[in-house]
Amino acid sequence: MFREFKFLLSLWKTNLAAAMEYRAAFISQSIGMILNDAVYFVVWIIFFDRFPSIIGWQLTDMFIVFGISASAFGLAGLLFGNAFNLGDIIVKGRLDYYLSLPRPTLLHVLASRVVPSSFGDFLYGFISYIASGQFSLGGLGRFLVGVALATTVFLAFLVLVQSLAFWLGTGSIFTSMAINAIITFAIYPITLFNQTAKVILFLVVPAAFMGAVPAGFVKGFSWSVLGLMLFGAAGFLTLAILVFHAGLRRYESGSAIQTEV
Amino acid sequence: MKKYLAVFKINLLNCLTYPAELMMRSATILLFMWIFFQLWHITFAASGSDIINGLSLHDTMWYLLLAETLELGRPRLARVISEQVKDGSIAYLLNKPYNFLIYQLSSGLGESLPRMGMLFVLGGALVWAMAGPPPDMVNWPVALVALAGAWLLHFCVNSLIGLSAFAVEEVAPFEWIYQKFVFILGGMLIPLDFYPAWLQTIAKSLPFAYMMYGPARLFVLPDPALFAQILVGQLLWLALLGGLLTLVFTRGMKRLAINGG
Repeated sequence: MFREFKFLLSLWKTNLAAAMEYRAAFISQSIGMILNDAVYFVVWIIFFDRFPSIIGWQLTDMFIVFGISASAFGLAGLLFGNAFNLGDIIVKGRLDYYLSLPRPTLLHVLASRVVPSSFGDFLYGFISYIASGQFSLGGLGRFLVGVALATTVFLAFLVLVQSLAFWLGTGSIFTSMAINAIITFAIYPITLFNQTAKVILFLVVPAAFMGAVPAGFVKGFSWSVLGLMLFGAAGFLTLAILVFHAGLRRYESGSAIQTEV
Repeated sequence: MKKYLAVFKINLLNCLTYPAELMMRSATILLFMWIFFQLWHITFAASGSDIINGLSLHDTMWYLLLAETLELGRPRLARVISEQVKDGSIAYLLNKPYNFLIYQLSSGLGESLPRMGMLFVLGGALVWAMAGPPPDMVNWPVALVALAGAWLLHFCVNSLIGLSAFAVEEVAPFEWIYQKFVFILGGMLIPLDFYPAWLQTIAKSLPFAYMMYGPARLFVLPDPALFAQILVGQLLWLALLGGLLTLVFTRGMKRLAINGG
């Protein structure tokens, strides 16, 4: 376990060094993403200015939900950037490279890329939390726990959806739909949805674990909510690893020559 | 003109060759329209009124459908052109006997039309089921004229962003922020009618309102004065942005350095 963690740290250091080779692009994309997120959030400020409460859901809740979702999305892109194009990697036979090395395939492939703009998302999440007016040191601790567990669920969901590429032979359409679905559901007030939709948001497209549930935890500590988040993260992660490895048994490639940089 | 028509037809047929893929890619609109319905259904119920600032729930949903159709169906030309500039493949387009910008317009339109058609049909079916039948067919021609103007305005701004790759390394942040301005000042997620008066004034004096709000509003509640105002606004902004695009393209050609091939 410790060996794999050291391996991950080395990968992240290498990724960061590679990203810093294009420092201007990294910084401009990060700042651009912070602005992008901030400008997008203005929509909610306008909405809640006109309609102050949606079944008990207010602008403060939106700041926290948006903060958790943005930071989780950003952390996934920063540390496991290939989670966003795993389907393409499978379809194009680019897993060959990772399979030939003595390291856990899924971990290696996911952590082999950094998405530069993700740093902007990650930072914006904290800005959004601070702007919510609910900032406290305890809250910050819960925010960090919430982001970590939301990232785990988000990554697991991406792996699950993109592992379908082992069976279907295509990945990009499902990936963009899946990302759209989980992000969109996560940043809308959960009070909008009826019981059936809520079951879907916990079990099928686990957006509740990426938005409303951790946001509730940030607002006030609760053992049951923490337990629910841990259970959700562990459950989805286990399922994702099992499905990926089941798919890996079906994997075949044309031995095309690939270069992994 | 014939050659541009041929480029348009090739791109159109290219999109129509894989109808299942076209349908899958367009299915995202179902998700967005469903969530919008949940949000606005509850918002209208909470406000205790059937009409908010002149729009009913039915109007709002069809407004949002047209806005989403335009947003999801317009071609991502900024990305295409900036890649062509950065990887040098623009050289292969410039030495052909056609105008580069009109070529992009024809190919973008050929790609965009089937996608917008599919988005409208899929999203329209869902909106019909949730909020009632589409607006009167009498409204459609004026909305289509404004839609064409809006599409051209998007084309100008997208091309300008793409061509900015002549000067800057990364254009993605410009594209993100532009999209968010369309979301907010174009009234894509919330009709401008629901905004405070001061913000409506600002939004309506910028091009974004003519790119989104104009056609969507005319689709649900057309009136001759509004149509004339939108048409004049679109023509003025087209003249300004079209002139700027031609200028930037001419200047960019002077900066272009092609080394080998």
